[in-house]
Amino acid sequence: MTTATANVIEVPGPKDADETPGFRQGNHQGAVRSCDTTGLPVCLTAQRYIKLNAVMAVVFLLVGGTAALLVALTRWPSVHLLSAEWYYRTLTLHGLNMLIFWIIFMEIAILYFAGTTLLNTRLASKALAGVSFAMMVVGAAMVDAMVLQGKADVMMTSYVPLQAHWAFYLGVILFAVGTLVGVINFLATLYIARRDKTYQGSVPLVVFGATAAAIIAVLTLLHGAVVMIPTFTWAVGWTDAPDAAWYRMVWWGLGHQSQQINVCAMVSVWYLLGTLTTGAKPLNQAVCRGAFLLYILFINLASAHHLLVDPGVSAGWKIWNTSYAMYLAVAASMIHGFTVPASIEVALRKKGHDKGLFGWLFAAPWKNPGFSSFFLSLVIFGFLGGITGVTLGTQQINIIAHNTLRIPGHFHTTVVGGTSLAFMGLAYYVVPLIFQKEYPLKALARVQPFVFAVGITVMAVAMSLAGSAGVPRRHWDIEFTGAQFSAGFDSSAHLMMGFVGIGGTIAFTGLLIFLLQTVWAVFLGRSNAGKPMEQW
Amino acid sequence: MTEKRAADVFQHEHEKDHEEHKTPGTMVLVLLLLASFAVYYFANWKALADAWHVR
Repeated sequence: MTTATANVIEVPGPKDADETPGFRQGNHQGAVRSCDTTGLPVCLTAQRYIKLNAVMAVVFLLVGGTAALLVALTRWPSVHLLSAEWYYRTLTLHGLNMLIFWIIFMEIAILYFAGTTLLNTRLASKALAGVSFAMMVVGAAMVDAMVLQGKADVMMTSYVPLQAHWAFYLGVILFAVGTLVGVINFLATLYIARRDKTYQGSVPLVVFGATAAAIIAVLTLLHGAVVMIPTFTWAVGWTDAPDAAWYRMVWWGLGHQSQQINVCAMVSVWYLLGTLTTGAKPLNQAVCRGAFLLYILFINLASAHHLLVDPGVSAGWKIWNTSYAMYLAVAASMIHGFTVPASIEVALRKKGHDKGLFGWLFAAPWKNPGFSSFFLSLVIFGFLGGITGVTLGTQQINIIAHNTLRIPGHFHTTVVGGTSLAFMGLAYYVVPLIFQKEYPLKALARVQPFVFAVGITVMAVAMSLAGSAGVPRRHWDIEFTGAQFSAGFDSSAHLMMGFVGIGGTIAFTGLLIFLLQTVWAVFLGRSNAGKPMEQW
Repeated sequence: MTEKRAADVFQHEHEKDHEEHKTPGTMVLVLLLLASFAVYYFANWKALADAWHVR
């Protein structure tokens, strides 16, 4: 027997399914293989759809990432790359591809992995997986086609009375329903695993977290249906325009909650990568699971913080939804923010890395991009995203920050520095273990998470500081060229906008390294079928 | 050192662990986070007070 990565999992020699303990209890009906690295059973149907969803995720990451670079270079006043028309078009494309398509394709892949591999069961329905995937691909392609043709310059929020082509809304509906079908397939997989007793005891924490993400996804997609169907019928000309205030409130039940699916999925990925890279085990199951329950119960209320300057809702409604109730969801993140690094500390101290306060942290497998991605994601999400998020979500403070660049500064640390970086870390295991292909240039893969993390941190901090100087979010020209009176910002704001451009370019470089490496590995990489993955 | 395989960790994850865990490093990181939050939160209330005077 050999040991796989620096301090990872024990790697057995090639073995067939029957040699793995507990494997015979599965309900796979033959379509299964045993992972040569982890010893986990891999349902071959699920594997196919994990691959398909992961590939599409990377395709949309490329689209959204390219748009991100163009947006960053336009907001940098010295460069100011795109025209106003193409800037707003590209910003719409960026938001939809990064916040929705890349992340949700990855999340469906995560649900199929967690539901089958960790529970030793088959995927409930191959047909549902196919229908889900087809609807999501067609929906996302329709949305991108409409945006690129200039028929949907409505930004990601598509606030009524801005109107896009009906095919844009239909694309969003198709993508949402396709996602819902995938989530139902995951929930059905949990059911058959339970029915067939394919696992012992409770489901693993990663599956529990994925289930929490799935429940939030159902609520999110129902909000999406409620708000997008009447908007679609309005765009076709069948009905009157939906009420604008009603649209904004219900849309954020879709827009904000979709980011909470990300948070749940990201935390699940933290626990998964903690186990895969250091052998860590959750410290206290009840506490960790309780934290996921808090997300399900209270995270929807946090949608209200998008409407803190909206005249359509009362002050009482704003204060309730963004104070005590929302903080119960924040408490959940704080619990995970402790239990995840604590489980790593315990695992590494057990291995003898117990020198001083941080000996374990220095001895952690930083050369393994699976570990560095997830730990950097944890730090960026907690220290930058968490602190700024709770502060900006306070009603009174929001008055000085709303619609400034501080808001994108915050969510680029949660969704990009947090979720996207964690999902990149996951890819460093999905490609060798599910695609059974090796990454080609491992040294480059090792530095990629650091390049991306530095870039996104510089960009997000600069956004926050520029926003503190009053620079608006989304705006094409902070000079307000041609305005009737003197406008614009001082040199410090310009300096910060320069750092937004520089940080964005560094982050894009990290993204490009990830994309090129991953595409190379998937299509041209060396196969590791029948043997354990190579060391990082 | 022979490590546990991921399959074993997940399979036995639900079993109670009676060992006592000490995590002093994580405690320091968490306290650092809370201190950072306190400073940032206070600075924002100060900025709000500077922008909107209450008489």
